[in-house]
Amino acid sequence: MATGSPARLSPYGLGRPRPGARARLEALAAMVRKQLLIMTRYPVEFVTSFVTMAIVLAMFTLATGTFLPPEGLSQAAGSSAAGVVAYGFVLFLFLGDSLWFMSGGLRREQVEGTLEAHYLTPASPLADLLARVLTALLLWDGLLAIVSVAFLGLMLGGLPLVDAGAGLVILIFGFSAIIGIGLVFAAFTLVAKESAEQAASFVQFALLVLCAMFFPFSALPQPVLAVSRLIPLSYTVDLFRSTLIGHAPELAPAALEWWIVVAFGLLMPPVGGWLYRLAERRARERGSLGEY
Amino acid sequence: VGAAGTVRAPYGLGRRSRRSELAVLAAVAVARLRIMSRYPGVLAFNVVLPLVIASMPILLGRSIAGDRTAENFALNTGTPEYVAYMLLGANVYMVITNSLWFVGNWMRREQQTGTLEALYLAPTGRVWLLAGVALAGAGRSVLTALLAFVIGCLIYGVNPLQGNVLLALAFLAMGLPPMFGLSLAYGAAVLRFKEAQALINAAQWVIGFLMGLYFPVAVFPPLLRAIALAFPPTWTNNGVRAAILGVGYFFESWYADLAMLGVFAVLAPLVGYRIFAAVERALKRDEGIGEF
Repeated sequence: MATGSPARLSPYGLGRPRPGARARLEALAAMVRKQLLIMTRYPVEFVTSFVTMAIVLAMFTLATGTFLPPEGLSQAAGSSAAGVVAYGFVLFLFLGDSLWFMSGGLRREQVEGTLEAHYLTPASPLADLLARVLTALLLWDGLLAIVSVAFLGLMLGGLPLVDAGAGLVILIFGFSAIIGIGLVFAAFTLVAKESAEQAASFVQFALLVLCAMFFPFSALPQPVLAVSRLIPLSYTVDLFRSTLIGHAPELAPAALEWWIVVAFGLLMPPVGGWLYRLAERRARERGSLGEY
Repeated sequence: VGAAGTVRAPYGLGRRSRRSELAVLAAVAVARLRIMSRYPGVLAFNVVLPLVIASMPILLGRSIAGDRTAENFALNTGTPEYVAYMLLGANVYMVITNSLWFVGNWMRREQQTGTLEALYLAPTGRVWLLAGVALAGAGRSVLTALLAFVIGCLIYGVNPLQGNVLLALAFLAMGLPPMFGLSLAYGAAVLRFKEAQALINAAQWVIGFLMGLYFPVAVFPPLLRAIALAFPPTWTNNGVRAAILGVGYFFESWYADLAMLGVFAVLAPLVGYRIFAAVERALKRDEGIGEF
């Protein structure tokens, strides 16, 4: 009996009811390629993100200058204050875009009416979310982070950089945790709909203060600091910054912070994925997937 | 009689008159305010956001300068009241960016949901629709900014009623018509570039930078200072700060600065409208305004 075209016999095609790991990876790669293609279609967006970054850093540098004696910013060269702002900014970039690219991307498909059609394909919705965030965080934000640290270093005449290797390891775990936070917010988007974008902004700015991304934890009032200690991301920020600057961490001993950072980085993606699948199933049951 | 009466009404939608155009403006503003009232969480976020924006330099400054924070700040800006300085800057900034954001977001949303072309078929001038959106946005922004300023003052223990409050409000009110002009230019950018999210983000930070959100524009080099002074929000921001904190007017007197804002209030809407109309006309000739 005829078995149809060879394409149908493909052992890892997405058409199979239970695609294997290889098929999933190929789907993810295809989605990453699609996101990259979309990125190239909006060069204005790409260029303006670098302009924005330069302006934000210049603004914070000038703001710092208003609190220094009139002899100016030369005092800040190579200082821990410069490092605090620069390295906090890197984590803020990743956090912000993780929220925006996953939650915002999902929201956009809801608004444009393509989400339900998209979910009818045999590709994993989670893979689509991951493709968005991997493209944005690894390529775009990675480049932005390197340029922003270099830019701030140039403006201030140098940044402290004590243990870059350990800093990179912490950044990888932080990156993983941030992807998990993004997935949690994508799940929230399916539930909250119109309020999701504002909620994402709110969380982004709340974490900016609570995780002391642009200033040391010592600057926070005691009640706020108590809340900061309850947020695992605070320890990622603290350990990342103190490792690169060469100071002792502010919130807990370094050994304890390492445990928290690693556990948070490993746990958040599965937790986020589980929550997203839960929200998606509920939306499908209620028929509210495409509602906005 | 009813139908004939409708057709013959002096300000029916079929006939354009100043009265019908004002009715369109009011209807759009009321509709937008009604939609906004459905999302109280967004309103709360708009109150919290300026507090976060102001808190970043305040906490950063305290951590850098310690006991000399107010002293250093006074040497650089002319007032030791760094908390009120940052709170005022953040709230004026929010009023200004929200005025732009509402128009830009609204246009983009109409493009995405496919209703922009339908709106263009309505027998009314687009400028009145946009003015209605801007009016609603400005009204809500001013309200949330006042609330955020009072809450911020209470949190940081600063007197919110110091200085000449009425004069500060006059500067804020006079700063709104130029913002409408800028928002028209902004709407034109959304129409022209479509995927304008990054452009909107960048423009927000450019505004914060040029208006001196965290610092006096006197710190800029001459060319950049001239650009900042050609930008209406710089005058609004400095006027509000000078009225409350006595940091000094650009022309040494409040009435001269207010008059300058008055000039902007006349010119900016005219220029903004010209830009919007030109972009709109060009798009109608080419791909049409509904593409996104």
